[in-house]
Amino acid sequence: MEQKQSGCTGGAEAVLNLQPNSSISITYHPHFGPHDDLILLEIDDKLLPDVLHQRVTLRGQPNEDAVLCTQSKTYSIKFVGNSNSVFLIPPVDQSALHEHPQYSDEKDDDQRVVASVIKVAPGNMELVEVAPRLDKLKLLLLENPFTSEEVSEKEELEGMEEQKTNLFKWNDLIDRVQASDDELRSGLRALSAVEIDGYWRIVDEKYMGTILNMLLHNSVLNDWSLDALGEDEVVGVLESDGFPRTLGLHCLQVYGSKVDEGVGSCVWKLDERRLCIHFAREILKDGKRKMESFMEEWIQKIPDGMQASFDMLEGEVLTEKFGVETWVRAFSVSSLPSNPAARFSMLFQERPKWEWKDLQPYIRDLTVPGLSSEGLLLKYTRKTQPNSDAEPVFSAR
Amino acid sequence: MQIQVKCSCGEEKCPEWAIVELQGVVEVQPSFQGTVQNLEIGQLCRPSSQENYTFTVGYHELSGSKVPLKKPFVVLKKTRHLDANQNGDSKSSSVDLEVVGIIRHRILFKSRPKALISKPQPLVKEKVSAGGSVAPDQLA
Repeated sequence: MEQKQSGCTGGAEAVLNLQPNSSISITYHPHFGPHDDLILLEIDDKLLPDVLHQRVTLRGQPNEDAVLCTQSKTYSIKFVGNSNSVFLIPPVDQSALHEHPQYSDEKDDDQRVVASVIKVAPGNMELVEVAPRLDKLKLLLLENPFTSEEVSEKEELEGMEEQKTNLFKWNDLIDRVQASDDELRSGLRALSAVEIDGYWRIVDEKYMGTILNMLLHNSVLNDWSLDALGEDEVVGVLESDGFPRTLGLHCLQVYGSKVDEGVGSCVWKLDERRLCIHFAREILKDGKRKMESFMEEWIQKIPDGMQASFDMLEGEVLTEKFGVETWVRAFSVSSLPSNPAARFSMLFQERPKWEWKDLQPYIRDLTVPGLSSEGLLLKYTRKTQPNSDAEPVFSAR
Repeated sequence: MQIQVKCSCGEEKCPEWAIVELQGVVEVQPSFQGTVQNLEIGQLCRPSSQENYTFTVGYHELSGSKVPLKKPFVVLKKTRHLDANQNGDSKSSSVDLEVVGIIRHRILFKSRPKALISKPQPLVKEKVSAGGSVAPDQLA
């Protein structure tokens, strides 16, 4: 009985370049097997250069479903089965597959052009663009927020080996958070996180308030304009008051924006809306207040030259009517999960029914690739409208 | 954990792999179960200058064509390394992923097979006599 000798003399090239009026024998490869280590990944043509130039990574902890990240986007990876028989044929020169070459017994005169199948692929992996999983970033950073105590402790511990528990450097975050570099950076910005001594931190709100108050106090003393704060001067004065440079600068970043990048010192302008929101949160942090007393205290707290308007508090507070009285309480969109299902569940826990004007500020930041905001509403809410003139009301599905 | 997807071949030189895809399953004759290495599956033939192909498996002939994939596949090879740490008692493994190829076309046979009973081709005969024949099963 003559067993046909079949190396992989033709390989994929022979199949792909098969000439008209010719044929080729398709055989099982000498190393045919399940080869679970060979994975087919479907890649959009526009992502291909990123893959071939080693600009993509897989991210996730062992207990999480891995995601694939490019510089700017995150994709979930799904297995798509195929009930057809998919014969996978490698090119001839796939040294990676032959760890133990063993073709010494091949007879040259008996060689025919064959292409050999290394495995039957049960399916392939597919990428689906997803929103970055940034809720975890917030949880990680909130494990150990930066507080005023740390500043005083640091002075005491000068020169001593510091304990770094629950603190994360950029690389630690990349290891733990399933998001692309760009998305992680914008997530850190959205959380007003700051890099202190190499670790990414959220600064405790109370401490931020203290720094801001000191800054405002200094601006009155020194007759600074809140629209044109010289960075060096402001940060320098704060430093002499006991606030580290990084935090003085961070305060400008959180509550203001750069207006002029001069050659020497940058100039900053404090943001009216962000300051007003800060003071509203400070007033409401101990619980709800009657509208009149809230407004009175709020306007009084806001620095001269700034105008508070209740519209600024969209997505930050909710109002409730009890009889003739209106109450205000804090309910900040930034405290809600960014996953749509969890977000809507929290919202309907808060209120079973939402009018559009109240709901909109709490969902406008939700982004789900491939789903519009209308799509989100259809998926997670039930819309009722008693008659065509009435405001639509949204309730849980 | 982060795994960088490696690619040593670069964009121009990424070797192209091929896919021959057919409906159903090719079943190996019981005597060859488990030792299919080097066994012939069938004969792929391009009868004309068009991108039409036939695939003859045992007594069955399939007709199909070469079609481009809507989106290409990259072939990834996963390698697992066991890294023993200094004290040697606990082991962690790390995974390497490397692009070893790309697939842009497949030769797809999606029609039912035609039986070649009346006039078996010499090659098939020879193969059958050699005992190395495989027959498609449940082609549907």
